[in-house]
Formats: sequence, structure tokens, C-alpha cells
Amino acid sequence: MPSPMWRQHELKESYDVVVIGGGVHGLATAYYLTKLGVRNIAVLEAKYLGFGGSGRNTAIVRSNYRTPEGIAFYDHSVKLYEQLAAELEFNVMFSQHGHFTLAHNERGVTGLIERANNNRMVGVNSRVIYPAEIQKLVPHLNVFGHSRFPIMAALYHPPGGIIRHDAVVWAYARGADRGGAHIHQQTEVTAIDVHQGKVTSVRTNRGTIRAGAVVNATAGYASTISKMAGVPLPIESHPLQACVTEPLKPFLDAVIVSSTLHVYVSQTDRGELVLGAEVDDHQSYSIKGSLAFLEGAATHLLELFPFLANVKVLRQWAGLCDMTPDYSPIIGEAPDVKGFLMTVGWGTYGFKAGPASGHLLAERIASGKTPKLLEPFGLERFANDCLVGEKAAASVSH
Amino acid sequence: MADHSPSTGQVEFQFNGKTIVAAPGQTIAGALHAAGEHVLSSSFKYHRPRGLLCVSGRCPNCLCTVDGTPNERICQTPARTGMQVKSQNAWPSPKLDVLRVFNRFSRFMPVGFYYKSMYKPRWMWPIWEKLIRRITGLGTIDPVHGGDGDYEKRNIFTDVAIIGGGLAGMQAALAAAEGGARVVLIDDQPGLGGHLRYDPDLVRAEWTELPLRTAANHRIEVINGATVFGAYEDRYLGVRQGERLLRIRAAQVVVATGAWERPYVFENNDLPGVLLASGAQRLVRLEHCTFDGPVLVVTDNAQGYRAARQLKGAGVTLAGLVDTRADSTEAIDGVTIHRGQTITAATGSSHVTGAKLATLAGEKKGTIGCRWIVQALGFTAATSLLYQAGCSLEYDPALDQPVVKKYAAGYWSTGAVNGFHDPQAASAEARSVGAAAAAAVGSQPVPRVVERPTSSGATAVEPNYVAPTSAKKQFVCLCEDVTVKDVGDAIDEGYSNIETLKRYSTVSMGPCQGKMCQAAAIAVCARHNKQTIAQTGVTTARPPDQPVPLGVLAGRGVQFTLVRQTAMHDWHVRNGATMSDAGNWKRPGVYTTVEQEYDAVRNRAGLIDVSTLGKLDLRGEDVSKLLEYIYPNKFANLPVGRVRYGVICGEDGIILDDGTVSRLGSERYFITTTTGNADAIDSWFRSTLVCRPQWDIRFTNVSTSFAAMNLAGPCSREILAKLTTSDVSAERWPYLAAGELTIAGVKATVLRIGFVGELGYEIHVPTQYGLHVWEAILEAGREFGIAPFGLEAQRLLRLEKKHFLPGVDTDALSNPLEADIGWVVKLEKPDFIGRHSLDRVSQRPLRQKLVGFRLQDSTPIEAGSLVLSGTKVTGRVTSSGNSPAVGTTIGLAWVAADQAHDGARFEIRVRDSNVPAFVHEAPFYDPAGERLKS
Repeated sequence: MPSPMWRQHELKESYDVVVIGGGVHGLATAYYLTKLGVRNIAVLEAKYLGFGGSGRNTAIVRSNYRTPEGIAFYDHSVKLYEQLAAELEFNVMFSQHGHFTLAHNERGVTGLIERANNNRMVGVNSRVIYPAEIQKLVPHLNVFGHSRFPIMAALYHPPGGIIRHDAVVWAYARGADRGGAHIHQQTEVTAIDVHQGKVTSVRTNRGTIRAGAVVNATAGYASTISKMAGVPLPIESHPLQACVTEPLKPFLDAVIVSSTLHVYVSQTDRGELVLGAEVDDHQSYSIKGSLAFLEGAATHLLELFPFLANVKVLRQWAGLCDMTPDYSPIIGEAPDVKGFLMTVGWGTYGFKAGPASGHLLAERIASGKTPKLLEPFGLERFANDCLVGEKAAASVSH
Repeated sequence: MADHSPSTGQVEFQFNGKTIVAAPGQTIAGALHAAGEHVLSSSFKYHRPRGLLCVSGRCPNCLCTVDGTPNERICQTPARTGMQVKSQNAWPSPKLDVLRVFNRFSRFMPVGFYYKSMYKPRWMWPIWEKLIRRITGLGTIDPVHGGDGDYEKRNIFTDVAIIGGGLAGMQAALAAAEGGARVVLIDDQPGLGGHLRYDPDLVRAEWTELPLRTAANHRIEVINGATVFGAYEDRYLGVRQGERLLRIRAAQVVVATGAWERPYVFENNDLPGVLLASGAQRLVRLEHCTFDGPVLVVTDNAQGYRAARQLKGAGVTLAGLVDTRADSTEAIDGVTIHRGQTITAATGSSHVTGAKLATLAGEKKGTIGCRWIVQALGFTAATSLLYQAGCSLEYDPALDQPVVKKYAAGYWSTGAVNGFHDPQAASAEARSVGAAAAAAVGSQPVPRVVERPTSSGATAVEPNYVAPTSAKKQFVCLCEDVTVKDVGDAIDEGYSNIETLKRYSTVSMGPCQGKMCQAAAIAVCARHNKQTIAQTGVTTARPPDQPVPLGVLAGRGVQFTLVRQTAMHDWHVRNGATMSDAGNWKRPGVYTTVEQEYDAVRNRAGLIDVSTLGKLDLRGEDVSKLLEYIYPNKFANLPVGRVRYGVICGEDGIILDDGTVSRLGSERYFITTTTGNADAIDSWFRSTLVCRPQWDIRFTNVSTSFAAMNLAGPCSREILAKLTTSDVSAERWPYLAAGELTIAGVKATVLRIGFVGELGYEIHVPTQYGLHVWEAILEAGREFGIAPFGLEAQRLLRLEKKHFLPGVDTDALSNPLEADIGWVVKLEKPDFIGRHSLDRVSQRPLRQKLVGFRLQDSTPIEAGSLVLSGTKVTGRVTSSGNSPAVGTTIGLAWVAADQAHDGARFEIRVRDSNVPAFVHEAPFYDPAGERLKS
């Protein structure tokens, strides 16, 4: 009989660290904490592991962001992803065939040049390439054929790619379990107790737990959970939709993104095409897909790959994205509530950052000191008006 | 009730290079069956041979590439002469697939094996992945020829939409129509009737005319061959009918989708020759096929006997009938009935040769030779649209299916989907549901009591999903080759939640999306977890319920993305302009050369088409109040006949757009926006107005009602004077004057503004006169040496004036204070959108600033280049160009606040070296604005 990936435990009365959210951020935080010797940890998941954004994202990993702070942070994550299979002894199938962000107008090209320049300064491999080279690297893309908005340039980011997202969740869960963390599924947080500016316990549908520190690693409802601790967040939640086609023999290895056409696409190792767009423009907690999304995504994809018209969509879904004003995350301790930490506001870019945020937040919890890479991302940046503007690099490109 | 009968005229098509003859009306699958082609494809993982199973477009077994289109369900595709049909995932052929070797090594490929292998050492994974990507996937897409189609979309509004044209659907439709409702009845088959079409013993005399009566009813529109794939919010249905997308909005929706037979799970249950009973019935009745060898029927219900009689009546030899019920008494003349037994395995390698039987307790009962195994062992209710719609369902153990506990607003269901398998009962229920749905049209939805049958009459009392023996190749999921053992192993590894189980084992993730396997997967999961089926739950039903081609979803959008052209577009093209995209608009880039156009504007006169600007007409007592609220600067004090520059900020104080506001009357304003933000600003105004219904404001977007052009240059006043009888002197028409003039006989709204830094007039005329006025100005200006100029020259001209472009020189973090237009922010106003944020910005030191800069020489600088302080990135260049007025490269850049004073030196990174640049505070050209105001 195969051994279980993670064990079931009774809920203890007290944990040193209680992590809320059984997705990639929560499980990675727990895993890296156990590596730093913090072992009395609970990970609480209201549904099942990977129910939220970790199981709904489109699994793109890249670091070709726009700001020096963002690039360095995501680069750390890509590097952790590259070692993850070996470290966790679980094949997360990181498929690094390159990431192409297309520009169809002058303004778009300028944005790519700026990103390439910034990437270069941080040491991240990305450069602007033009139609002839794009066609060479992505043979079936409609570069020179009839097109309403012809492709003018692309930001080519060779280390970018896709990964088996569920596998990342399971691998971290197993790693955390082996390190001694308790994983509690079907355990929903109902309240967080704060006493004299310090977090004391977490109440759940299965009972109350005393906690030395509480980590909010939720998405979709991050602001609801934070509110329980009296920490308001500048977050708006929007649905983000995606769909997948029937499996086809692979013809596309790279990830292709076009902000002008509001679409991105990749082909998995199963042969399915995964496509998506930017977040729905209205705030909502609905995770139902819409027909309008399918129509839009199909229209735009066919501009890039006209020969796919007869390919069929198999299923569509939606997830929730906690959007911050600057399209960058909020990581660190709440300024006014001791022991309440967050890795939230992950918008549409959380999955690719899971290893970095888990790794650095664990270090923050274990050492009490904020690692340099995390410094720009504290909640206080909104009060201080020191934003990390990533909208141009993160709105369609997830 | 058969829809088509053999007639003269044969159809010939190619299957894997072999010519197949089909009878007219036959599907590809029917013709292949008749021709003895029973191996159609290879399975996804183990490359096992697969043949017809459901014959109803639900299962994955018949997916083939038809005329280059992969993954077509050939049991639903009519055969046509000349078609090229090819098997998928099988090389060289489905009968001799070399990768079938995987089947023999399946013990090395247990569930999730790929997660546990191929990652050590790290460099091996890319090599493995390359191999995986060569063998994965099903159909092959043709990247050159794939994808043409005559796509279209249709919108339908109706009182009652009924999904499913079987007995229940027809009865509901007729009852709803009799109740006065307009009805749309959608069915995915070529003819109405559902199960009645192929199961003649179900049909009662009074139902034979139902399809005709339904089709003839003037209140009912019957849509055949159409699949409802999505039940979206508020009874909005996505329907695919061939190459057409139907979007149906219905007041009430009746789900009469029925049920499909589910396959039984036994060893080798995927072998060609194993069929669902309804599939066999369809082949005989609708495809006029027979069977080329003895058929063994396995059943636990009345349908199995009906199917057996039907096959026998069609001349098919029966090898026997296996009835899992020990106490059943039904008999068929000349057929051996094996009671109290079930099938545990099919024998054979590429086709069935026999069946192993056992008692339900697992006691072996020997093997019966047969060529076909026909199974009638229960149904899966087609509930996915109900789930999608938001109805809540619960598993009913007596009916062995989920039934509705609470309906979503406006939803109904009837027939087999509710568990009514007895046609008489379904018929009666459907009539009352149809009538009630019609009565509910136009009224508020009320909670309803859900009626359900006490037993389905379709299945045995004990749900029976899996054969009582354990074996390796018992397939739960045919799409993904997931076996009973795989499911058990996955659960033992911790993937015990049905959703996690799905993601790990990939059960129900293939082309059938769980139609064939979900019920069995849940049953196996429940058994392994020692839970009930109800406790196990279901995975989320997501659209589309049946796969939909991208082309159908896109419609003609593929070829017809909107192209907007100004009234002067053809003139621009005729006169040699390069046209560039600005949103959906086409705009002239350059006619001759930037240098020549620049020269005309600076020294004589130029004319540029600015019709693409957003234009808003606001009238009413409260407009000035609105403008005071929307803009950071003041507008209430704007005199009539004047125009003022304005910036719009978001609540975060970030610049959204800029433009002009002109006061044309005491209660009449005319606003322009940038081209790119025209729609966004329109919404911005509307959403602000929606919250203030008491304000007296008439808001009209007149963007496309007016053509607009900008006449600029030292000679422009003289040119304008030639075209109007009005006084356009500097005294009567000073800088920032706004009003009406008749130009070349056309009444125009004229603004004296100068984006390019010269004496200039922005002229708005009704679109239909745009070309006339454009040509008249050029004609009048000819003696002065006027020239049309395009965007490229305009970019350079405005750069010399240091005018920024929102979205080009600003980004999602730019506020007016740091963009160096702090003068537009009037914090003394009590309130405006963004005031709170801008107040905070004003109380802290500025961090960055948008500045003009010049180089020492003409080194070209790309927009997007970085600004450095030492090795630290402190900003970026947003625009640059070679300025004729300055003689060097100039530009706009964001720099750190301490780099922002006049004359300050900073570095710009150009490739791998640094170029020094110097901040230039004043405009590069005519810093005092004398030319502009002349």
C-alpha cells in the first residue's frame, strides 16, 4: 500500500504558528518553517488542499517583472522552483520553454523595453525581440499573416514556463508533514482573537487554538480573514477566469501573452491548451465562469493562432484574485497587531511567488527580522505611499 | 420514430486511407460499424484499442480527426462523400499501435507515476519532458489549414427555454405553449423523441405524433442538433448548433436533459465490442446496422430486456442474457437467462471474444463466448446543467442519482433527470412542469416543493457500479485510462477528497468530462473511504457541458474586429499617409517626412486629424458642480467662451486622463478626452452620474458625431479668416477662447488651443462635413504652404513643449504633483475625486518627478531606457526625440526628486554604457508661450 502524502491529526490546543490557508503560500511557509526548526505548526484549510487560487491558476512561472523590487523577488521564486522537484522529491514538472509577452503597438513596445532593461539590471534573462526572431522561436504564431493588430515585438524570457500547479501544492504539503507540521483540512477559521495588540488564538469550526503567531495565507478572502484580526487591507477581490481545450499533440512549447489582445495561452504536457485573460472588471466573490469570457478568449486566441478555430474548449473555471492598488503583494507582520503575519494581495501573480514568499516569510517568522527582499512589500507601504508598481507587467500576464 | 431510412445514393469516405461506403443519413460511426471497422482509436495513456461505446456523443472512444479537425465525435457526425477520417493517438494504425507496449508495462506506470519519477538528476527532466510532449495529446492540429468555418451568432429571448426534446421535453413544451408562453425547445439530436427514437417498445400510440405536434405548434421554436453547453447566470444559456453560437435569455428554463447509460466497471470493460445497450439500440434503429456475431446482454433492468428483444427482432444472434437480479422472472423466447450473475471480465485482445461471469458475491460462473457485450446497468442523470445553474442537489439512494433539493430562480426540471424513467409518469410530470413554468413567466420566483418518484423503475434496488472481483484493468475512466486500483491507490496516498482525487488521478478530466465515469468514480471513492455516496459528494460541474469549438465561441470576431476610421480616412490613405493603430482607430502617422511636417507647423501651418478624441456634451444646471467634483482643478469659475486644460484623477490621485473643458454656454460644456481613454472617461462620467440622479445633467457622448482637426502654425489665423466671415482676430479670438464659428459654410465648435505650441485652432464639425472642411482648410492654406501632419510630427512638436501624454509618459503610479502639473490640483476645493490621496502626497516630499531633459548630442534614446543614479535605477525615459529647435536629443523622464532641479545631471543607460543627460525645467521651445498666445 502506498504511503500517504500527509497524515491526519487531532487539532491540538496550541501551536507556535497557525497558518491559515492550505494553498501554495501557506504550505510553503509551513515547509520552510520546519526546515528552520519551527515544527509546532498547524496549517488550516477550510476546504481541501489547493481548493483556492493554487488549484485555479494557470501555472505560469516567470520573473520578467517591471520594478527592481518585483524582479528580484520573483527571480528568487523561479530559482526555488528550479530546485523544487529535487528538494521535495516530487516531480512538479517545471517546463521552462520560455515566456513571450507580445506588443502590438508602440506603447506596448516601450513597456517591454523598460522591463527588459530592468530585468537586465537585476540579472534576469529577458530581452526584446522583433517579428523575424519571434517567428523563428514560435513557429506557428501568426506573426506575418493577416492580423488586425500585428505583432511588433516581444519580451522573450527564456526561464519562464509552466509547472504542474497541483503537484507543487501536494509536494509542499508532504514536505511540511514530514517536517512535523499538522495539516488540517475541512477546518475553517471563524474568528481571530487579539489581546492588547497581540494575536492570541484562532477559533475554528473544530475548536479554538492558542497561537504564538498567525499567518494569513489566504486568497480571495484575505481581507475577510485580516478583518477578523482587526487589520483592514486595501484589497479588492475580482474573479479571474480561464479555460482549457481538449488535448492536442503539442505544437506550442512557450507561454504566449498579449495584453493588447487580453489573452494568454500555453500548452500543458497533457496537450491541453490553457488560456485566460485579465481579471473581470467588476468586484465579486463569484467563482462561476461566464460565456462572455469564453467568447472573448476564443476571439483573441484565434488572432494569434487562427488555425485553432476547430479546437474545442473542454471546461472553464474562475478563481478569486485579491487585487492591491499597485499589483504587488502584501507580505509581513501587520504594523498594529503583533504576531499577525500576512502573505496576501497576491492578485493574479501569487502562484509563481509561492516558494519565495513561503521561504522569506518563514525566515521572517523564525528570525524576527525582515529579509531584504521582503522590505518593499509591507502593508505600511500604502500609508507611506511607497508603492511597487507592477500593473504594466502583471495585468494580463499572470 | 426513426429519422432517416436507407434510400438510394451512397456516400463514400476514407477511414485511415480505406474507402468506406455509407448509407445516406448514416453517421461515420454507423458506416464504420457496418463495414466491420470496430477499432477506432487508441486510449490516452496505455494506447489500448477502443471502439464504439455510447453512440450518443458522450464517451471519448470514437474521437477521430475528420477533415483535419481533431477530436470529432464520429457517432454524431453524418458521413459525407470525400471525408477524410483518421484515427487518433495511434501509429501506424489503431489496430497496430506501437505504443500499445505501454499497456504491457502498465505496472510501471501506476497512478501519478510521473510525479514520482523523471526528476533525478535534474538535467534529465527536460529530456523526459521532450519525450512526453511527443507522445501526449489526442488529435493533431494542422497549423496551416486548420480552422476555417462560417461562424455566426444568434441571440434569442424567450419565455420558456426547454432543454431536451425527449418525451418529457416535448410534453413540457406543449403544455407551456398551451399556457400561452413562447417556447424554445433545444435538442442535441437531429430529431425529437429522445429515447423513443431508438427504443420502439417504449412508445405508446398517443405519443407517435408528438414530434410533429411539437414542431407544428406556432408558439414553439424547435432547435435541433443544438447542444446547451452552459447555464450561466440569470438563465442565460450558451448553445452550440454546428457553427453557430446561440445565446438564449429565458424567463424560465426547464431542464429535461434525461439520462445516459453508464458503463459498468469490469476487467477489460474498454475492449472494442463492449457497448451500452442504448448504443446498440441506436446502431440498429437509427443507423440500420446489425451485429457480426453473437451478442451477450448484461442487465439489471427492463431496458436490457427491451434491447435484447429489439436486437433479436433485427436478426441479431443473442449469446444469452445475464440478469444480476436472482429473483427476476422476465424471459425471452430462445434466449438463455443467467440470473443472479454479472459480468466480471471481457476476453479478447483487440475485440471481445467472450465474457466471464460470476455471482454478485464473486463466485465464478465460467465464460460465455460472444463477439459483443451489451450492458444495460443503470443510468446517470444528466444533471450538470442544473448544477451549473446553481440548483442544489442531493444524492437519493433509492433513485441512485442526485435530485434537486432547491432550484435556482426560474429553473425547473422534468423527466429522467428527475428520476422518472417510466415514460407514463415522466409524461404526466412534464405536462404539469411545463404548465407551471409558463404560469411563472413574468412573476416572482417562489420556492417550490420538489416532486420525486419513489423508485426510478430503471435500475436495480442495489446500485451496482463495479464487478465483484478485483482485477488490474477495470477502467473507471476511459478518457484517462484510470482503473479501480488507481483510484484506491490515490486515496491511500492521501488524495481522499473527491476533488483532490480527480486532480491527482485525472479521473473525469478527459474529453467526456466525467459523463461516463463520474458516477463510478464516486462510488469507488465512497467504497474505499468507507463513506456513503452522499458523503463523498460530487466534483464541480463546469461549462461547457459538451466541448465547444473556439471558432464557434469567437464567431466572426475572428475576421471582424472593429476598425474605426475618421471622416478623412480615405483622404489620408490617398495622400500617402502611413496609418497606425490607436485603439480601434486608424490614424495617420506620417505623410511625407517628420522633418517636412514639423517645418510646416513651426514656420507656416499644419493640419492634423484629431477626430479620434473623445468628445462629451454636457448640459444642465448642475454640470459645473459635476466638473468641480470630477476634476482636481476649478471649473465653476470658467467663463462662457473659454476653454481650460483639465486632468482627471482616480480616487488614488493617479492621473487617468487629460483633455479640455470648454464652456459654450452658462449651462453647456464641451469636453475632450484622449483617444485611448475615450471609453474609460465616458464610463467614469456615467458611473459618477448614476449616483447623482437628482442632478440636472444631460450627458451625451458625441465622440463619433464630430470630426475634428487641429489647424496650427503662425499662418493659421490668416487661413481661418479666409474661410469664415466672423472676426477671428487675436482680440476677438484670443488664446483659450472657445465658441462657434462658421467655417467653409459649416457650423463648427472651435477651441483656441495649441498642443504643439503654435497659434492654433481645434475645429469640431459634424462628421459628415469633416472631409469638406478638411479639404477647404488645405485649399485655403495652400498659398501659405500648409501641410497635413501626422502623429509622429505631433509627438515631436509636443515634446518640445514638454506636454506629456497620459499613459505614455505617466503610468499607474503617476500623480499630478509628481508629473509636474501640480498647478491643476486645487486642494482648497472641499472635495473632488482623488483629493484625499493628493492631500497626503502634498504633505510628503516628492519622491520622483517627470522632467524634461536634453543630451549634449543627438544620441538616440529609446523610450523605456533607465535613469540611473550611480548603479541604482531611479527612473526611466518615457519619450524622446531629436529636437530641431534645440539641436540635440530631448525627452521626458521620471527621475528621483533629488535629480529633478534645472540643470541637474543624471545618467541614462544605453545598452551597456551611461549617457549623461541634463534636466531642462522650461519647455524646450518658446518657453514664454508667445507663439502660442500670439
